[in-house]
Amino acid sequence: MKFSTKLLGAVAGLAMAVSSGVAFAETYTMGVSIPTADHGWTGGVNYHAQVTKERLEALYQDLKIVLVTAADPTSQANDLEDLVSIHEIDALVILPTDGGPLTEPIRDVKASGATITVVDRSLTDNSLVDIYVAGNNSELGTTSAKYMAEHMNGTGNIVILRGLPISIDEERFDAFMEEINKSSGITVLDNKHANWNRDDGFIVMQDFLARFPKIDGVWAQDDDIALGVIEAVKEAGREDELFIVGGAGMKEMVKRVMDGDKLVPVDVLYPPAMIATAMEITALQFVSGAPVEGTFIVGSPLITQENAAKYYFPDSLF
Amino acid sequence: MSEGQTTTEVILAAEGVSKSFGSVAVLFSVGFELRKGEVHALIGENGAGKSTLMKILSGLHQPTSGTVKFDGEKIDLPPFGQAEDLGIVLIHQELNLAEQLTVEENVFLGREMVNGLLLNRKEMEQKVQLYLDELGADISPRDRICDLSIAEKQMVEIVKAMSRDARVLIMDEPTAVLTDTETQLLFNQIEKLKNKGVAIIFSSHKLSEIKQIADRVTVMRDGQWIATKHTEELTLDAMAQLMVGRELSKLYPPKNEVDVDAEVVLEVKNLYTDYVKNISFQLRKGQILGFSGLVGSGRTAVFEAICGLAEIESGEVWLHGKKTRLHSVAQARDAGVAYLTKDRKEKGLLLNQKMQPNLTLLALPNFVKNFLMDDKAEQRATARGIRRFDIRARDPNITAGDMSGGNQQKLLLAKIMEINPEIVIIDEPTRGIDVGTKQQIYSFIAALAADGMSVVVISSEMPEIIGICHEVVVMYSGRIQGILQGAEINESEIVRYASGLREAS
Amino acid sequence: MAEIDLNEVDKKSKKGMLSKLDFKTLGPFIAMIVLFIFGYLINDAFINSGNLSNILTRSSFIGIIAVGATFVITAGGIDLSVGSMAAFISGIMILVMNELKTVMEPGLTIIFAGVAISVVLGIAAGFINGFLTTKGKIEAFIVTLGSMGIYRSLVTYSADGGTISLDREVRAIYRPVYYEDLFGIPIPVLVFVAVAIIGYILLNKTVFGRHCFAIGSNENVAKYSAVNVDITRIKTYILQGICVSIATIIYVPRLGSASAQTGTLWELEAIAAVIIGGTMLKGGYGRIWGTVMGALILTMIGNILNLTDLISNYLNGAVQGVIIVVAVYLQRGDWKKKK
Repeated sequence: MKFSTKLLGAVAGLAMAVSSGVAFAETYTMGVSIPTADHGWTGGVNYHAQVTKERLEALYQDLKIVLVTAADPTSQANDLEDLVSIHEIDALVILPTDGGPLTEPIRDVKASGATITVVDRSLTDNSLVDIYVAGNNSELGTTSAKYMAEHMNGTGNIVILRGLPISIDEERFDAFMEEINKSSGITVLDNKHANWNRDDGFIVMQDFLARFPKIDGVWAQDDDIALGVIEAVKEAGREDELFIVGGAGMKEMVKRVMDGDKLVPVDVLYPPAMIATAMEITALQFVSGAPVEGTFIVGSPLITQENAAKYYFPDSLF
Repeated sequence: MSEGQTTTEVILAAEGVSKSFGSVAVLFSVGFELRKGEVHALIGENGAGKSTLMKILSGLHQPTSGTVKFDGEKIDLPPFGQAEDLGIVLIHQELNLAEQLTVEENVFLGREMVNGLLLNRKEMEQKVQLYLDELGADISPRDRICDLSIAEKQMVEIVKAMSRDARVLIMDEPTAVLTDTETQLLFNQIEKLKNKGVAIIFSSHKLSEIKQIADRVTVMRDGQWIATKHTEELTLDAMAQLMVGRELSKLYPPKNEVDVDAEVVLEVKNLYTDYVKNISFQLRKGQILGFSGLVGSGRTAVFEAICGLAEIESGEVWLHGKKTRLHSVAQARDAGVAYLTKDRKEKGLLLNQKMQPNLTLLALPNFVKNFLMDDKAEQRATARGIRRFDIRARDPNITAGDMSGGNQQKLLLAKIMEINPEIVIIDEPTRGIDVGTKQQIYSFIAALAADGMSVVVISSEMPEIIGICHEVVVMYSGRIQGILQGAEINESEIVRYASGLREAS
Repeated sequence: MAEIDLNEVDKKSKKGMLSKLDFKTLGPFIAMIVLFIFGYLINDAFINSGNLSNILTRSSFIGIIAVGATFVITAGGIDLSVGSMAAFISGIMILVMNELKTVMEPGLTIIFAGVAISVVLGIAAGFINGFLTTKGKIEAFIVTLGSMGIYRSLVTYSADGGTISLDREVRAIYRPVYYEDLFGIPIPVLVFVAVAIIGYILLNKTVFGRHCFAIGSNENVAKYSAVNVDITRIKTYILQGICVSIATIIYVPRLGSASAQTGTLWELEAIAAVIIGGTMLKGGYGRIWGTVMGALILTMIGNILNLTDLISNYLNGAVQGVIIVVAVYLQRGDWKKKK
């Protein structure tokens, strides 16, 4: 994890705030706009946003948090207009459904004087962003590729199940391919979109299994897809032939890693809790009274049997 | 009929026009001339080729051989109604109006007047109003088509034609669904158009109307031109003979009188619904009871209420001496009461289905064996129905919508007979049907009564009421105005009751 | 005019040889064979028994739902809520089974309880759709669009935005329902075949089926012919609900989970399967075997695309769209008309 220097002070402020239960000089409103829970990871984002909202509102009596969810860029843009005109927000925390089309609506929010915190996606104009909290998609791809190459001793066949065709998927995929191509002995048989969806993961994997007699490794890119893949592999009775690398750090998957499941030796972290981090940091500026700026990158480390316990939260939803 | 406006100037003509559809020839070298400012009637039995000729004259069909001349020039009329731009307008029997649009919107459909990018509603409405006034039509440009009566819809079609400056107006059986009053109104409008120099082609099965409105008559039979004559040269009988090509035998079968003490199978006492008031009458076994009156006088409403298709407010219905209330068509069916609608296409037949499912639909429970449909029994019933009612379809797999009106009506008769009813109510039994089939249907009705069934005939055609009914109930404005028997059943009596001039004491 | 439209008669008599091949009936079947050959040419793994069994098993969810949809559509209705309904029923079913497991030993009783709940919910959901469209006199499109949204959010709510997962031990007992064979045929396929046969008999051999055709052709004619239009229509929606519940019963053991994503777009796939199969979207004509073919065709398209890297992933939707339109175009048979 990399902190920018400006943030360090802010985090210290947060620590103080936590201990005291602060009342601000005036009432502040924070708008939080996130995508609808359409798959496990965004489900996690929703969960963490809700929990964090309750926690922060209990902590800061004068902070009001308005949480809205949108299924697509158009409705999210509408949400932003409402947040400004009806709720008169002082700060916006947004996980854009798609960075491109939302850049201009965010510019309008910025113009109203609110602090802008963007989570996980990049805008076409990043100068609008005061605080940026994100996972590292390229790192997720690279980490996965590195592990797979190593685990396969540099030779064998891989199939890839990708997410939805959007930029996040591209970043992960491109980084993965760049890294995996360094091992000349590894063949990527094919890649198909499984839309970060369990049912699609199951179906696409079934077809890969029918098509390719020998698969040594599966990069599922996401834990929801991976869970579908596991079922397909079990159905085909080919558990002993291959291993699966997912992504995100869903508790079911972390549990398998922890238990030493041969099929799922590792997982790669991409925590939906980053929305909580973003909300906390944004709240800090009301405490400190000074503008908070900076970039906060959540890394994508490898979760192995040894360190899995650290990432396992049985009570979490995701 | 005044000949003043009629000149000998020919505006539209067909010369040696033949038409075949594939191997089936339907027109054989037909010649036809339409003069400026004349009303030219086209008569013939169903299938004689009237419609085809009309469609050729309006460009909807292209002739297989022969020529069409317009203003003396040989012309290939453009298809798909584009001939309207030349001033040739065909008004179909099934009117071509967008039901959800207003009168004004329909009239200007496809050539709306605009003000820049926006519709110029005001001007269009004014124009339409002008035409409506000219015709003496009591409707507003803003009325929705679906709220209008058929006669009013026809007026809209005429306004549409006027707004296109029609020089030739072709009307395919415009009066088939009109009452006498409405027909007269239409004729007034035709007269006005004629005086403006519009040439009109007009087809109808009602020969007395032809006599009244037409200047000349062209008779067709079996796809051939038979004769063109000035109307005054022809008597009604002569027209009919030319059409049929033989002496018309008597149209109506002989009446068998009913026993005065025959069982009363249906008795209605003081029936009230939303549309009718204080209806009381009796129907005896073997009787044919006519219901006459103007359209909208409540005849259909009485029987829809009796058959469970509409709410009864008060009153009693007795079937075979037992007080009964039928709440659905299914209950009516099980009680042996069948109602045959006048609206064949919208309420009678599934137009996209074949004969068999149509025939058995009402009596479906009779065709169930071990909870499943008995296909064999259905086939037998279809064969039986076709034979019994002489349904003539070239293709046994024809869909009901492709059958002629006469055959559709026979199929409907066969359909209701499948429930073996004791009481049959037939609403407008011969609407839109040619003379030959009419005759058949009258004999079917007489045969049903002779077999001991009781038949109610609701009809706007007075001759058929007089020709086949033992007793006639005349309604006026939702009430029974009089019940006529024996010698009282004649045209002038019925008219007096039907128009409310006279009331039974 | 009341004459036989000679154009029609002519068209029929002239078809000659071509009319012997009834494209309306055979269209979907031919489309399937063409796809089948195409699949084999693209990758011969297509015809190995494992893959074919995958296709059959996979198509069973959409297929079963589409059998129900055939009734609704034939009777002139539409049900957009089936996908959400499937997700909702799956979710509730899993929650109930998980709950029961806290009070009793995992066993068949729990499974049967889950199945019973599923069927009850299916019937209830279908009844509500049917009741609102008939007695409530609201267009089916709007009613089911509404219930689609309601079920989708209810399942999201029950899952707190995440995934509802079936208890491990219960799942172990339930799992064979999706994964095991009976007489060498996967259980979901057997269920699909059974549903299709029952559907065929209901639609083509019973009074109820005939009434569906009649209502879809012309509601007024049906009413005047002693058909109880409202009751028949409600029955079609209930039947649809039961089909959704059956699909759910075999879906849940596959992944043992339900989420807001479960069953997304199933309604459109089911409707597409029905229409590819030759049922008229405006009602009045329906064919169960066509629907079965339609479901198989849809699944085969997805399968074939997964078996090749010839076509860019980004174009999958386009390929599916083109095949659906072409399949329907072929079976309408209008292309044989001259001019």
